[in-house]
Amino acid sequence: MRDLLLIIKKELKELLRDKKTIINSIVLPTLLIPILMFGGIKVSQMIQKSNQQKKVKIGLVNAPEDFKNLAETDTLNQISEYSVTDDFKALIEEETIQTAIVFPADWKRHMDSLSTAEVSIHRNGTKDNVNGRVSKLMDVYTTQLKEKRIAFLNIPTEKMTPLVQQYVEVGEQKELIGKRIGGFIPYIFILTMWGGCLLAAIDLVTGEKERKTIETTLSLPISKFSVLMGKAIVASLLGFIPALLNLTGLIIGLNFIDDIPDTFKIALTEMLSPQSIIMILLLLIPFSLFLAGLIISLVAGATSFKEAQSKASPIIILIIIPLVMALMPGIEFTWSTVFIPVLNIGLGVKEIMAGTINIGMYAAMLISLLVFAVLAIYFSYKKFSDENAILS
Amino acid sequence: MIRIENLTKSFTSKTGKGFKKETVTVNAVNKVSFECKPGRIFSLLGPNGAGKTTTLRMIAGIIDPTAGSAVVDHVDISQGNDEVKKRIGFLTGSTGLYQRLNADETLDFFGKLYRLPDAVYKERKEYLFEKLGIQDFRKKKLGQMSTGMKQKVSIARTLIHDPEVLIFDEPTSGLDVITADSIIDLIRESKENNKTVIFSSHIMSEVDLLCDDLAIISKGSIIYNDSFENFKKEMKADNLTQEFINRVKEA
Repeated sequence: MRDLLLIIKKELKELLRDKKTIINSIVLPTLLIPILMFGGIKVSQMIQKSNQQKKVKIGLVNAPEDFKNLAETDTLNQISEYSVTDDFKALIEEETIQTAIVFPADWKRHMDSLSTAEVSIHRNGTKDNVNGRVSKLMDVYTTQLKEKRIAFLNIPTEKMTPLVQQYVEVGEQKELIGKRIGGFIPYIFILTMWGGCLLAAIDLVTGEKERKTIETTLSLPISKFSVLMGKAIVASLLGFIPALLNLTGLIIGLNFIDDIPDTFKIALTEMLSPQSIIMILLLLIPFSLFLAGLIISLVAGATSFKEAQSKASPIIILIIIPLVMALMPGIEFTWSTVFIPVLNIGLGVKEIMAGTINIGMYAAMLISLLVFAVLAIYFSYKKFSDENAILS
Repeated sequence: MIRIENLTKSFTSKTGKGFKKETVTVNAVNKVSFECKPGRIFSLLGPNGAGKTTTLRMIAGIIDPTAGSAVVDHVDISQGNDEVKKRIGFLTGSTGLYQRLNADETLDFFGKLYRLPDAVYKERKEYLFEKLGIQDFRKKKLGQMSTGMKQKVSIARTLIHDPEVLIFDEPTSGLDVITADSIIDLIRESKENNKTVIFSSHIMSEVDLLCDDLAIISKGSIIYNDSFENFKKEMKADNLTQEFINRVKEA
């Protein structure tokens, strides 16, 4: 144990004197989430503001006067009139107009006879701002026409309203938001954890080979297992710390960034209670050891940093796919998903944040992660003990 | 004292492409035997790839032999590597130093792992720092040191636990004459202190200066093993280098 602690202390001292490690494992993870939150809010506000101020060039054909008046009440709408024979596709492509609303020539007859008329709207489906505003305009106009008809037919309004839907929310705000955004949180910190573990494990194993110090370490009167465990613990720490700093950054961001909607802020603060954080961190301890063991077993035979990176990097796919699956609707935290590494963390964190985690399943997940960690350490020890690999 | 008998090391590798793979076993060291006595300097010479480093690694407990036995300071290496490692100071071209630590931190790490009593450790460290002239750069990180400075720290860490057996593989390689002289002086001092020393070098003048017993290894086997005095008596060439080349070529 004493030897193991000496190895850990030495490895940590060496790693923390490397600027690359400090930036990747401490500075970036702490600042990442506040920057993403702040940047995301500011960018969405800017887009919203600029969309609201953007002019929409609308081409009209056979438009009735009341519709023209309605469209012109919004001073940002630029109205031009066209004939039905014009090529609206070309006009929209060359940006003369952004959308065209074509009323039928016999519009008045349809309205007088209270029948349904077809209005064609030429548009580019990718222009969300233009299409949204035109849809809103059409909705307002349709409502106006409906009200006119109801008045004309002399029908009381309540007779045209057979039911009014009223939703009574029984789920807590925390549960709703937790299930919706809880999946994104592990997505961020598992990736930073992977990055931290990868850099540290490569530096501690392949880096030692490159710097010709592995033989020095192996000449010391300590077991190979202690050396390996020291390296695996330090690599997992350098993965765990960024994840912890991610969470810290999230909490700092929530407390210091303005403009976050209050309901969202309150729900997130409630989700990130000390109990939830402890439960999440407890999962990350065996998971970071699992990652460290896995990466060490992959890079043990590599002779250069580049070779180690090319050997370990493809594994990122095995991490991203389960994380993306955890975000998909229909994939739930059940007894069949509780033992699948990464996917179980993605789903489990969602449940923890929503406050709906089943403690039995949580314990099973924790035990399964511990088993995976032990297996990964065992394989890394086998590779680390391979003289051909480690002294190559 | 080091006594090795029929020490053999085989390496197995897989060659071939796709599903057709062949396993190839190569004997890097083949039934090597020799003895190094306390108070004498034993030179193990051999061309690159002869099996010299593999032999030294087996003696130091870094790799396990495939067959044969080795006894280091009365401890059989098959009894456990850690006990052997405590008795050895091992320095080769591939035992580098931790670049981000300074000399003091490096020796602290080694001293603690060798479980030296605090007072003994401090006294020994100061003695070696003084002897090797490390005082002036003891707080400098190893990554910022010159080759000579690094080698001095390497020698200090090799000797910090005052081991009974010392293995020096090309300890003066790439050093200036003054630094090399201080290292040779320490090796001589170890001999005077009745330590068992294995010294390997491609610099024949140093071999001539230090060697008491000599073994030459070529293609994994010992081709000569006797006292240096007898080797010199049997020499047919004009100088040591030429004699060494001739013997390796004849083997």
